[in-house]
Amino acid sequence: MSMNFTEFKRYLGAEPRSTDAGFQLARRSAPEFEAAAADADRFESKLDRATLVETPADLLNGLLLISREVPVAPSARRRLSLALAASFLLTTLAAGWLWNTNRGWDSVEEYLADHYRHDGDLASAEVSSDEVEAVFAGLDLQAAPALTSIVGVIKYCPTPDGKGIHMILNTESGPVTVIYMPGTRVVDREMVYFDGVEAILVELQGGSAAIIGPDQQSVSGLYTFVQNSIIPSNGSS
Amino acid sequence: MHTDTGRQAKFDQLAGAYGTDLYRYALWICGNDALAKDLVQETFLRAWKALDNLNDPKAAKSWLITILRREFARTFERKVPKFTDVDKVVVVEEREPEPDDRMEIQLLRQGILKLAPRYREPLLMQVVLGYSCEEISAALGIGKSAVMTQLFRAREQLKLSLQKDGITGNVHELY
Repeated sequence: MSMNFTEFKRYLGAEPRSTDAGFQLARRSAPEFEAAAADADRFESKLDRATLVETPADLLNGLLLISREVPVAPSARRRLSLALAASFLLTTLAAGWLWNTNRGWDSVEEYLADHYRHDGDLASAEVSSDEVEAVFAGLDLQAAPALTSIVGVIKYCPTPDGKGIHMILNTESGPVTVIYMPGTRVVDREMVYFDGVEAILVELQGGSAAIIGPDQQSVSGLYTFVQNSIIPSNGSS
Repeated sequence: MHTDTGRQAKFDQLAGAYGTDLYRYALWICGNDALAKDLVQETFLRAWKALDNLNDPKAAKSWLITILRREFARTFERKVPKFTDVDKVVVVEEREPEPDDRMEIQLLRQGILKLAPRYREPLLMQVVLGYSCEEISAALGIGKSAVMTQLFRAREQLKLSLQKDGITGNVHELY
């Protein structure tokens, strides 16, 4: 179908270098089309020149240094979000397992990756709101009904700063892991990536949390929900 | 699982292929070359750590841009100075432009920085990164029709700014 002149000018304004066959044909279809196309081409040429910038000479070298100086192995992470205790030993009550944590996590990211590898594939189960509330109450917390109603798994877990809570939420886009940390300071909204998942860190009124999901899920969409759903029992931090 | 050598080679290839484009895009988003360098460095640092997540080499550029945009929104957006001295943006010219062209190009640069983000971002994706409207649509999470409207309005605003400044060397008919 051929374009009228108005359609053609709008196309020129949106995608002047389109290779669409109909658009290319229209460029040559009549003198006014050719003139408008030539005008657009001149403007695009100026736009190209206007956006040209000189790349810093040291840019590429600086980027290549990353792969040579930044380790990826969890035990040797160079980039630290915060300094934590060197080693400690914790137990979880609900699962009854002993997790030897003499690992010396150097960062929140390292802790989350380690924890997720150990616990990431917990099978989802039925858990009542009463059970969820009881777990939160054990840490002087309360959870919003909207959160308690979608908890599929909940248990206490070790964190760098004391007993925390490990949950799996059954969200509309699939299961998402939330780890509550009672005393760990995080960079709010920081994203961390490991083992093919992504996590967003959330500052809470009392403590912090990490929301962990597969790459394709938007864990950041749950940020506000989690932040508003976990609060101290006395209503203050 | 990649070997260390393979991982490094994969990353180095990405840096070589896309570092310049990312810097150019970051510069126009930040309007400040120091911030842009930091943003690109941070982007590639995160890419290095999450490199195992990149399974399709053809998706590398969009993957990197996604990381960059997230980093900009998370950390760098509030660092952008309110008024940007566009003269500090170093420009490469293959040949010395005519005086009228030089003024138009300068005004276009100022105009780009003044565009609202919803117009500037898709325009820069198209002009600087060479994205198609479909790719811009996927990157920004908006429909292709909306992308085309924003691109059209971005160019319209830039041309209007040239007309307001009395540049009439080339007639730019408003659509």
